[in-house]
Amino acid sequence: MNIGTRKILDRSFTALGIGSIAVMAMALLIVLVPIVTKGIGAVFFTGTVEHRKMLLHEFKRGGGDDLTSEIASSNRYRSKVYDMLTRFDAELEQMEPEKKREFKEKYTQVRTALQALLGPLPGDPEPMLTRFKYGATRWEKAEEKAHDLLYESKWDNSNPDVMAKEYFVSRALDFQGTSLVQLFPYVRENLDHMLVPKFTVYWGFITDSSIDSHFFGGIWPEIQGTFFLAIGAMLFAFPLGVVAAVYFTEYAKPGFFNSMLRSANSTLAGVPSIVFGMFGLAFFINTLKVSESKSVLAGALTLAIMILPTIIRAAEEAILAVPKTYREASLSLGSTKWNTIATVILPAALPGILTGGVISLGRAAGETAPIIFTAAVSVGSAIGLADVFSSPTPALSWNIYNLASEHEAASQIRHVQYGMVLALVTIVLLLNLSAIVLRARISKKLKG
Amino acid sequence: MADESIGGNNRTTAFVISARRHTLQKAAQKVGEGLLLGIASFVAIVVLFIFYFVARDAVPFFQLRGFTEFFTSTNWYPADHPAGFGALAIIYGSLMVTLGSALIAVPMGVAAAVCLSDILPFSIRQYAKPVIEMLAAIPSVAFGFFALVVLAPLLQNNGGPMLMWAWWILVTPFLLLGILVVADLLTTNVKDPNRRQQLYVILLTLFGLISVFLLYKVGTLLYAIQILTGTNALNVSIILSFMALPTIVSVSEDALQAVGRDIREGSYALGATRAETIIKTILPAASSGILAAVILGIMRALGETMVVWMASGNSSHIPEPWFNYLEAIRTLTATIAGDMGEADQVTGSARYHVLFAMGLLLLVISFISNLVSERIVVRQRKTLSGQ
Repeated sequence: MNIGTRKILDRSFTALGIGSIAVMAMALLIVLVPIVTKGIGAVFFTGTVEHRKMLLHEFKRGGGDDLTSEIASSNRYRSKVYDMLTRFDAELEQMEPEKKREFKEKYTQVRTALQALLGPLPGDPEPMLTRFKYGATRWEKAEEKAHDLLYESKWDNSNPDVMAKEYFVSRALDFQGTSLVQLFPYVRENLDHMLVPKFTVYWGFITDSSIDSHFFGGIWPEIQGTFFLAIGAMLFAFPLGVVAAVYFTEYAKPGFFNSMLRSANSTLAGVPSIVFGMFGLAFFINTLKVSESKSVLAGALTLAIMILPTIIRAAEEAILAVPKTYREASLSLGSTKWNTIATVILPAALPGILTGGVISLGRAAGETAPIIFTAAVSVGSAIGLADVFSSPTPALSWNIYNLASEHEAASQIRHVQYGMVLALVTIVLLLNLSAIVLRARISKKLKG
Repeated sequence: MADESIGGNNRTTAFVISARRHTLQKAAQKVGEGLLLGIASFVAIVVLFIFYFVARDAVPFFQLRGFTEFFTSTNWYPADHPAGFGALAIIYGSLMVTLGSALIAVPMGVAAAVCLSDILPFSIRQYAKPVIEMLAAIPSVAFGFFALVVLAPLLQNNGGPMLMWAWWILVTPFLLLGILVVADLLTTNVKDPNRRQQLYVILLTLFGLISVFLLYKVGTLLYAIQILTGTNALNVSIILSFMALPTIVSVSEDALQAVGRDIREGSYALGATRAETIIKTILPAASSGILAAVILGIMRALGETMVVWMASGNSSHIPEPWFNYLEAIRTLTATIAGDMGEADQVTGSARYHVLFAMGLLLLVISFISNLVSERIVVRQRKTLSGQ
């Protein structure tokens, strides 16, 4: 090969390496950007008057003269819509039965769309579910609902070779020649008067309980559950892990037994997370019966054995990184081995051990599979500290899955899902970031 | 006690007390050490318990239904009467996404590890490491959510164009390099420099035309592909590869660092370029460590639950044809996670035990691959230190 080609190959090899690191950074960005941008939308958004009504009725928050006048003015604009509906009701009564039947179905669709937009219409019975008591609480949802009202979605199946395409037909065309035809342009023009959009900062998303399976309200029970589980797991795993690491680094002599113990540690680290969940179910709940069924305790124990190997490894590394001179100085002053460990080595290794602990805390907070069968429920309110031994809890990781995959109206509450993912990712990444900063400080300190 | 009653000599008393204290201390130390050993063996006990309790609930399934159906049939109807417990399609789905993610993650991970250990200056490495750590830290359910809510609709709506662009971006540089190298190799034996130049140019244009045609033809074929469902094996493989990457990168970087400076310098001294040094000497020397890294990375992909549960489509059949990554599949982990909730009500039935059989299968695979990778790492350390 001539030297030119070799040089090109060399350069492109470098480019390949840098390229793959760049792709990883890109992947991180691509995953994080939608989560952050849309997750923020759960707290900062353009809320409608329906949102403020909901806050007042469900959480007894807000209210005052502002809201009263807002509701009054929005009702003024809405009353015209309601008038149009009553007029059309009357008109419908006058029609011949055949025509009436034809209109009836389309009219029901219009009413449903209006209910989704503005809340229950006059004359409707009081809805059972909270989600139907209010109209669109978020402006971008309101615009979607208005679009649903103005246009009917249809699917084009004419070409069997390609997938069906969605297209929209104006509903106004269906009601040509009736009084209802004015409704559509009126709604289009006065949407903002009827809903009074306003920039809203809803910190309650973090501190409120959810209402009607996350249609309204916040995610506090989930955040609290995540903290209970992660901290509970740390309570068990951290002391055990540090002690085991002390044994491995200070006492263990090379030999068959100790290499077995080390093998066990790496085996435990490699066990798939779902198997931990099965083990937790089979052992902690079905055999030990630490609780009747799922509980925070069982989940925390399961998470604890999952993060144990990580803690042991990190603590081992931190202890091994303590300079030999520390140990020798202490021993030469006549202190015993145990004394040296307790007063010299562990304090020196503490920041490193804490780093490992913080990372494991993040892992315990983010894991889902081990808590599916042992601790997590999809709906529920925040539990008290006394209930952790007996009752299950909602948790961020599990509820993200549940809302995104199993909720009956998953696409209606995307903002809640994004908000939850953002909350979880923020907790985990903040923990990791603090670990990274902590470690950078230690390495600076050790360098002197 | 007797010594104390004699009294008198302070020195003797002190000596005796300290002797007793000494034995006490010794005993305390032994007890303490034993306690430490007990706590350290806790991990081993937990591993044994995991094996025992998963196996205890898995064995009844094989007693009830035998091995043949589980491993050879694709007939998965655990809730029907009569029930079918053929897990072949599910095992196949697990293997499929694992292989798919390995195909993406292994080349990228090894290239990134080489780059981190041998190419990048320290100042840049400092910033690359936290990126990898953050990628490792993102919870699996967040990746799953991304796969389900962002990537799946994207694949479903713009699958063809995305595949075409991926093909072009990925393959063009490699084709270009290949052409250069092949043209170079074919012309090395020509003695006359002028003729060599001519031949070189001719070959370049010829191969160039062929590859442009290839790029275009395959590109249009890919463009025409309609992806029926965005929750498919391709989606999951891509996301899983990003979850396996941090493991592969960090473990293979350790292996590369373990290769000594002397080997590198020897190669440079013989006039090799950096790429040649890496490919011909460093990678072979670190190959076993990299293999261990690959095994660990693959295990992460095989054992991952949330991403595959949310974004694989959960349809238990072998895709048609068998390598079609654009179809929905179902994996072992997702089946355990998804079915346990219902099967838990009927504890003791085959439907409950079959899930533990799957768990046992996962556990055994992960155990074996862990042992293998550990052995490999130990052996590499021995060979390297022996040299």
